[in-house]
Amino acid sequence: MQQLPTLTPCRRNVRLHKSADEAVQETNDDAALSKASAVRRGYLDDAFITKFMKKDARRPPIINRGTFVRTHAIDVLVEQFHETCRSQDAHAQIVSLGAGFDTRYFNLKKRGRSFKTYVEVDLSEIVERKMAVIQQHSELTDIIGERQDVDSGLRGNDYVLMKGDLRHWKTVAEALSHILDFDSPILFLSECVLIYLNTHDSDTIVDWISQHCLHAAFVLYEQILPDDPFGQVMIDNLRQRHIELKSIWTYPTLQSQIDRFMSREWSKAFALTISEIHDRVLTPEIRTRISRLELFDEVEEWTLLGNHYCVCWATKGRMDDMKGLQVHRKRGQKEDIVPFTLWPQSDGASVKLGSPERK
Amino acid sequence: MGSDLDRQIEQLRRCEIIKEIEVKELCLKAREILVEESNVQRVDAPVTICGDIHGQFWDLLELFLKGGDCPDTNYLFMGDFVDRGFYSVETFLLLLALKVRYPDRITLIRGNHESRQITQVYGFYDECMRKYGSVNVWRYCCEIFDYISLGAIIDDKVFCVHGGLSPSVNTLDQIRTIDRKQEVPHDGPMCDLLWSDPDDIEGWGLSPRGAGYLFGKDVVESFLHTNDLTLIARAHQLVMEGYKEMFEGKIVTVWSAPNYCYRCGNVAAILTLNEKLDRHYELFDAARQQESRGIPAKKPAPDYFL
Repeated sequence: MQQLPTLTPCRRNVRLHKSADEAVQETNDDAALSKASAVRRGYLDDAFITKFMKKDARRPPIINRGTFVRTHAIDVLVEQFHETCRSQDAHAQIVSLGAGFDTRYFNLKKRGRSFKTYVEVDLSEIVERKMAVIQQHSELTDIIGERQDVDSGLRGNDYVLMKGDLRHWKTVAEALSHILDFDSPILFLSECVLIYLNTHDSDTIVDWISQHCLHAAFVLYEQILPDDPFGQVMIDNLRQRHIELKSIWTYPTLQSQIDRFMSREWSKAFALTISEIHDRVLTPEIRTRISRLELFDEVEEWTLLGNHYCVCWATKGRMDDMKGLQVHRKRGQKEDIVPFTLWPQSDGASVKLGSPERK
Repeated sequence: MGSDLDRQIEQLRRCEIIKEIEVKELCLKAREILVEESNVQRVDAPVTICGDIHGQFWDLLELFLKGGDCPDTNYLFMGDFVDRGFYSVETFLLLLALKVRYPDRITLIRGNHESRQITQVYGFYDECMRKYGSVNVWRYCCEIFDYISLGAIIDDKVFCVHGGLSPSVNTLDQIRTIDRKQEVPHDGPMCDLLWSDPDDIEGWGLSPRGAGYLFGKDVVESFLHTNDLTLIARAHQLVMEGYKEMFEGKIVTVWSAPNYCYRCGNVAAILTLNEKLDRHYELFDAARQQESRGIPAKKPAPDYFL
C-alpha cells in the first residue's frame, strides 16, 4: 500500500529537481500556508485551515492583506450566489476547480449554509492528502456527515471530493455529469487554477461550462499583467520555482478576463484587481479593521502586487440576479481609515489635519 | 587597528560577515563618531545622495560601481539600510565600517527601518539570529541606530531626510533640539521625519502607513521659505523610475534598491549634486547574476499569491 505523503506544507526545495506538476501541486501548500497565516493574524476567521498545516505559518503583512482581500471578495460572491439560489428556491451547487486544501465548504456549512452539492476537484495526490486530514478530525467528518471513501475520492450527502486532472477535462466532465443537476444553478470557482493550464485546456473547461450550464456563475482569481516590469519579474521568479502561468498570455488584462466569458455568451462579466477591491470595494470599517492588525510598511509594493491579481466574476441565466462586488469609492479617493499603529495613538495629538502651520 | 578595519571592509565587500566581537568594536568606534554629529549633519557638495538600500548587498556594490567608490566619492545615505533584503547584516556593517574609516566622506542618516520594532517585523532581527545565532549583533546595531543623525543639510541649501516633514517642525533648529538618542518614537517630530510622505494634498493628511503624515506642496514651500532652502531630498517610497521630483522640483524622492525585494521590477537611482548644487541622476539596475547570488540558494523565492 502506498504511504500517504506527510502533511508539511511548503515543501519547496526538498529536491533539486522537481517536475512542473509537483511545482503546481506545491502552490496548494503555499496557498494554505498563506491562508493559515492570515487566520493567525486575525484577518480571516477559519476554524479549519490549521488542521491542514503541520507547522506554524507566518507570512509578511503584504501577503496577509492580499490573502484577506482575495478570500473576502470570493466569500462575498459565494454568499451572493447562495442567497440568490435561496431567493429563487433553487438548489445551490458549487464546483471548486483545483480546490486544494480550501476549507470554504466547511466554513459555509458551519455558518449554516446548505447545498445540494459541493464538489471539489483536484489531482489525486492532493485529494488523498486532504482525505487523510479529514479522516483525522472529527470536526471535519462531523460536518460532512455520512460519507464513503471511493476510488475517486470521498462522497458525502452534499460533499464530493473528487480526483481529477483538469487537463483531461473529458474525464472530469463525465464524472461531473453524474453529480450535477444542470437545470439548477451552479457556481464554479477557480482560485489560481486555470492559469496553470495551457490556453487550450483552460478554454475547453470554460467552453464546456458555457455550453452545459444554463444558470451559472463563475468566480475566478488569478494573475494578470505579465508584461510590465513587476509582471516580468513575477513570471521569472515563478519560473525559477518551475511554475508556469501558461494562460496569462491569453488573458493578460481585466478586459481580456471579462471577454473570456462575454465571448462565450455569458450575460454579465466583471473584473477588478485586488488592489481596487481593497481601495474601492471594502467598506471603511473592514479596511480600518485589517489595517490595524499589523504594521504595514509596504504601501507602494502592495499597490504593485495587488494590481497583478484579479477577481473576475461572470453570470448567466437566473444567476444574473447576483449583485456582484459593489464599488463604493472613486478611484484615487483619499484614505478614510485609521491605519495600524504598533503603538497606542497618543491622545494629545495637536495636529489639525488639512491645515498647515504657516509662519 | 587601522589595518584590521581595512581587512574587515575587504571582508564585508565580499559579502562575508565579520566576527561578533569585531561588530561590537566597530559599533563602539562608530558611536564615538556619530555622537559628535548634529541631528542635521552639515555636508559639503559635491555629494552623491542615495535612498533606501534594504539589505540588497549586491545592488549596493552596483551603486558603488555607478557612483564611484568611497572615499573617492562623497556619499550621503538617507536610511533604510536594513530589512527586506537578504543581506542587511553585510550591508549595514559595510556602510558603518566605511563611516568609521572615512567619517568625512560618508554620511548616514536614519530611516524608519533603523528601529528595534520595525526590524523585528521586516527581517533584520531574524537575519542576525540566523547568521550569528544570538541576539547580540542585532542589539549592537540597534544601539548604533539611536546615534544616527536624523537629517543632513548640504551647503545650507538642500535638506535631506528619510521620510519628510513634521507638523511639529517649522525650522531646522527645531530638529536640532530633538534628543535623538532613542528608539524611533511612536509619534512626534522624530517619528514624522522618518515616516512622512509628500502627497498631492493641501496641508497635512493621515498616512496610510500608520505613522508620520502626508504633506502637500504648500507645506514644502513654507518649509523651504522659512529655512532659506532650495530642495528637500528624501527616500522612503518605492519609485519605479528610481527617482521622482514633485512640487515643481522642490522635493525629490530617491530610491536606491533596484528590483526591490527581488520582486518589484523597478530601477534604482542616485542623485549627485555638484558644487553648484546642479542635480544629476544616475540610474542603475539590479546586479547581474541576481539568480545565483542575489537570492541565496537556500532561501525561498519572493512571495506571491498562488
